[in-house]
Amino acid sequence: MSKPIVETENLVKVYKHGKIEVHALRGITVKMPNGKIIGLVGPSGSGKTTLLNIIGGLDMPTKGKIYVDGIDLTKLSEKRLAEYRLNKIGFVFQFLNLIPVLTALENIEVPMILAKIPKEERRKRAIELLKMVGLEDRMNHKPDEMSGGEQQRVAIARALANNPSIVLADEPTGNVDTDTTIKIMEIIVKLNRSLGKTFIIATHDPIVKERCEKIYNIRDGKLVGEEA
Amino acid sequence: MAIRNVGRRKLRTTLTVLGIVVGVGMMLALLSIVSGMDVRVTQMVRALGGADITIYNATIPARGSQPFGGFGFTIQRTINLNIIQQIIQIPGVYAVSPQLSFMGYIENTRVTIHGIDPQTYNEVTSGLNIINGRMLSTEDSGKIVLGKTLMEALNITISGKVKVGTSTTDQQEFEVIGEFETGIMFQEYAAYITLKDAQKITGLENEATQILVKCEDPYMVNEVANTITSYIPGIRVTTPTAMVTQATQLLNTLTMFFATIGLIALVAGSFGVVNTMLMSVSERTREIGILKAIGAKSSDILKMFLAEAIIIGSLGGVIGVAVGGVLAYILPTFMPGIMGTASILGRTTIRGVRQVGSTQVFTPTLTPTNITICIGLGVLVGLIAGLYPAWRASRMKPVEALRHV
Repeated sequence: MSKPIVETENLVKVYKHGKIEVHALRGITVKMPNGKIIGLVGPSGSGKTTLLNIIGGLDMPTKGKIYVDGIDLTKLSEKRLAEYRLNKIGFVFQFLNLIPVLTALENIEVPMILAKIPKEERRKRAIELLKMVGLEDRMNHKPDEMSGGEQQRVAIARALANNPSIVLADEPTGNVDTDTTIKIMEIIVKLNRSLGKTFIIATHDPIVKERCEKIYNIRDGKLVGEEA
Repeated sequence: MAIRNVGRRKLRTTLTVLGIVVGVGMMLALLSIVSGMDVRVTQMVRALGGADITIYNATIPARGSQPFGGFGFTIQRTINLNIIQQIIQIPGVYAVSPQLSFMGYIENTRVTIHGIDPQTYNEVTSGLNIINGRMLSTEDSGKIVLGKTLMEALNITISGKVKVGTSTTDQQEFEVIGEFETGIMFQEYAAYITLKDAQKITGLENEATQILVKCEDPYMVNEVANTITSYIPGIRVTTPTAMVTQATQLLNTLTMFFATIGLIALVAGSFGVVNTMLMSVSERTREIGILKAIGAKSSDILKMFLAEAIIIGSLGGVIGVAVGGVLAYILPTFMPGIMGTASILGRTTIRGVRQVGSTQVFTPTLTPTNITICIGLGVLVGLIAGLYPAWRASRMKPVEALRHV
């Protein structure tokens, strides 16, 4: 097996809501393989979103270690974390992924603007990415002029904008119907094959699960099983 | 992106911009009006001709007596010219010129006639603004210089002849040799002749109604004036230029006062910007979370919201300048008080003229400096008001922001 893309050691996350402590992660040790579609599966509240957020550098573990692509995330400053998210990670959320005042094309350009990529280059790449998700005809549409599935595809294209190591998707099909789910998963599989990108998807949808090459079952903040 | 976000909530943005427009507009209107008054005062100083001190006779005539030997024409009490020798010796006095002004008749029209000593008159004042013909000289007996308005009223041209006299004396013929302009109508409804001719017409040999004094140092005017009054009994002095200085100080106070009102309006407007921006930040919490998730630094978020606030401020500034420019011309018609100020200035500084034209209009002055200041203020208000909301947006934790829907 090649070097793992994500490696965690006894990862613990405790949220404090006033005086109540919520144990979101209770010691997760895992090595995720590179270049695969990985599923984090579990009921809501199991801690899969928290794990995804920690991998994505949006949140910090309370205890434990996490390495992504060899980087020790616990050692990064807030500014370095932002750079890490910009260059190494692509995010797709369940819904409302896009900036409402910008067109599909402009939304895909945002990460590239933040990465200071020259205008012509980023426009070219944004069009390329839109083609990959099959939405070149929606280029100048704003989010509210697109269907939920189309919005998710734009979000996937945006996640790939800065050529990240991993695309993290939190319930990407949570708000769309079955046909759209199948379509979105087809696109993810295609991109995984053609670009060799690692996708980590938090989900409890059987259709999504079916398409994953590696599945981690999470329950009550603990890893309870792996399926290949 | 900032521009489109500003356009997202059109009504709210419009109202916020209006808040700034009111402040900036008010500021510019008031500043322009005050500048307009300033220009007017400056015009008056020029029209006054620059005599630092004017000396009058202050003695009260004995009851029932006929002060001018039975002459029934309107004239002030006069001063004997012998005191000129005393005045010229007072330290700080640079030059002295006697003047005999009286209400006389030219071609049966009642006008103010000034008898001057041309040589000293030019030393003491900046002289008459001759637009046609020439100025009087000391030997110009029988010659007269008329104001532009009077020329038009009498329908007279240069080298024409006019009959000059008082109500009680015979009319003498004078030749018109010059035409002067002051820019102020009532001042142009007057005539200048030599002092000797004036004394002859009125029968007041060796007398003058006022003595004009120029000081060596313009900042010493009040001291020299005090010395003159203490040195020579029975006289009264006015210091027109010093009065104008005072008026200018009054104007400065007015400017400060109005600027303060404008600033208060701007501060009120800036609270509108803070409110709008805070609402915008809270509405777009999730968007901020997304932006941070895809790699935006806190500083990127800060810049984005600051840019929006500055756009609002600039819009307010530019529209405010347009509105203020219009207001500057409309407001004076509703504010007789300020018009009154200008009229009072006119009345107190120009002696011997009773009537101040009621149609006197002063024009507000829009200076590029004022316009720049006002637009700059709009931008500054946007920037300052945007700081706190933008800072709050930038400090949001991405995970918490993303939980927000």
